[in-house]
Amino acid sequence: MGRLVKNWSGILVAFFLLALMRLFLPVPFATEVLIFAIYTMACNFLLGRVGLLSFGQPAYLAVGAYFTGLYLSYWGSNPYMGILAGIVGSAVFCLIVGPFFVRLRSDYFALVNLALCVIIYFLVEKVLMGITHGDEGLSFLMNMSSTPILDLGNQKDFFIFTFLVTLFVWIFCKYTDNSVYGAACMATKMNEDRMIFLGYSTFRVRWSAFVIANTMAGLAGSLYAVWFGYVSPDMSAPARAADVVVVTILGGVGTLYGPLAGSFAYIAMKDLISSLISNWELFIGLLLVFIMLAGERGIWGSLEPVIKKISLKRKMESPTKT
Amino acid sequence: MDITLLTSSIIFGLSMGSIFFLMAIGLSLCFGLMRIISLDQLLYYSLGAYITYSIVTVTGSFWCGAALGMVGAALASLIVERFIFRKIYERDITFSMITSFGILLAGVGGIKYVWGLVPRPVAAPITRQVAFLHTNIPEYRIIIIVIAFLVYVAIWAFLNKTIIGKAIRAGIEDVEKVEGLGINVYRLFTLTFIISGALSGLAGALYAPIIMVGPDMGLEIIAFVFMVVIIGGLGSIKGTMVSALIVGQVISLGSVVYAPLAKMAPFAIMLLILLIKPTGLYGSKLLKR
Repeated sequence: MGRLVKNWSGILVAFFLLALMRLFLPVPFATEVLIFAIYTMACNFLLGRVGLLSFGQPAYLAVGAYFTGLYLSYWGSNPYMGILAGIVGSAVFCLIVGPFFVRLRSDYFALVNLALCVIIYFLVEKVLMGITHGDEGLSFLMNMSSTPILDLGNQKDFFIFTFLVTLFVWIFCKYTDNSVYGAACMATKMNEDRMIFLGYSTFRVRWSAFVIANTMAGLAGSLYAVWFGYVSPDMSAPARAADVVVVTILGGVGTLYGPLAGSFAYIAMKDLISSLISNWELFIGLLLVFIMLAGERGIWGSLEPVIKKISLKRKMESPTKT
Repeated sequence: MDITLLTSSIIFGLSMGSIFFLMAIGLSLCFGLMRIISLDQLLYYSLGAYITYSIVTVTGSFWCGAALGMVGAALASLIVERFIFRKIYERDITFSMITSFGILLAGVGGIKYVWGLVPRPVAAPITRQVAFLHTNIPEYRIIIIVIAFLVYVAIWAFLNKTIIGKAIRAGIEDVEKVEGLGINVYRLFTLTFIISGALSGLAGALYAPIIMVGPDMGLEIIAFVFMVVIIGGLGSIKGTMVSALIVGQVISLGSVVYAPLAKMAPFAIMLLILLIKPTGLYGSKLLKR
């Protein structure tokens, strides 16, 4: 029991803070932080665990959102089924494109993903105009039926649902971190040749990680879709391609709490700055360059040593007292 | 297919391929020598186009504008190289990619701040058309193709015939040995970066009369430039030219056949080529990281 508490205390504190945030901050803000945290966790999984940098994350976000949107506009009305459709759709999509992509060298991988992001944008804006209504986007807010326990059309209930989903995704990340699979991912990132020599198929490790991470991004996309009741090609806009990478680095790459801290800081900054100046891109670009030149450790990466020091000090002190 | 339509679309594709080539050569050279992916080339491209627009509206002379656009882009690249890239040459390749994406976004934000959000038209310097095989072809497009060809020849001559070019080629093979010979590689890096920036600026300036000059023009062309670079293989000048021609032709001939899919077709070709050869047509296998 003690070990369990020790392992999971961090998470409890983090999510207690998030729940506390709900009390003091407006609901839309808190919801966006949570959804963006899932999106960032996906990028963090890819970049921090397997070492694959991708500038095409909006593509996967849009795939999830559009599967949900199409389901809710044409077939069904249950938002839970819509989210499920988004998850399944993006998982299938990643399974198909994965083998092409994960074979590539890291630099090619990032560029190919950015190209994919632009292609998805073209696809939903022009090519599939008949189904997706191009720039106008799909609006299905009226199509969603209310569900008995957690009504996703209701903002407050939607926050609770998102909170539970984020908690689940975080626990999943934590679990994979401690498992053999997480170790295999880390080893693939650090020394691929040695992994091959040990008899692992690094292709399979990467492929599965690619599918898991981008399905998570798709989940974030379908949450966005249900939340807004609306999807548009802007979701896959290439100009937004770096945002999630910025946030991942801002929070701290490869850390568990990084995505939460990063997405909180990012959404807060976005709301504050976009109300002050319209020129949001200029700021995020400069911020990115600054973080990279300053040492790429991010918020959590800089905080972690301090926190460790404090807890270590307490441990050192406590035996002498008792 | 109609022969006149075919001729004009081939010329159209060649001119588009020329622009892609001018853009992609910067990315390719930077990767070959410095091992960085310099996404900020797209910023110099927009900058070149915007400077051309400003000069054209003030003085009315397009060629003067294009020349100044090139110089402006070269200056911007010099500043960026001095203050940012100098510090990150030793770092991992993904590092330069993220940093240069930051520079690109910041630069696009700056452009929006200076010139505003509205796309601007640039008057074409030459509106004359030439009769060729029963079709009328805009002379300006032919001039673009000629300029791109001259640039290719000039780059080839520079890399193969001059001593600095030979040092750059040696640097592409092995930077440490070149350094060991007493050559200041950082000066080579700066030179290569300025050449890349100037060529991107030239591409923007030349493309400005054909498209509207807008703040997002760099992000619109980004996918095609990447496809050119990836199909050709990073670090190879010849591969860049070949793949620029392929992508240009695929887009223009594809839009004759079925317009909505024309912009998707290069992506399919890229996937196909990567399936057969993961490093692109002429990419080297040496640089596994």
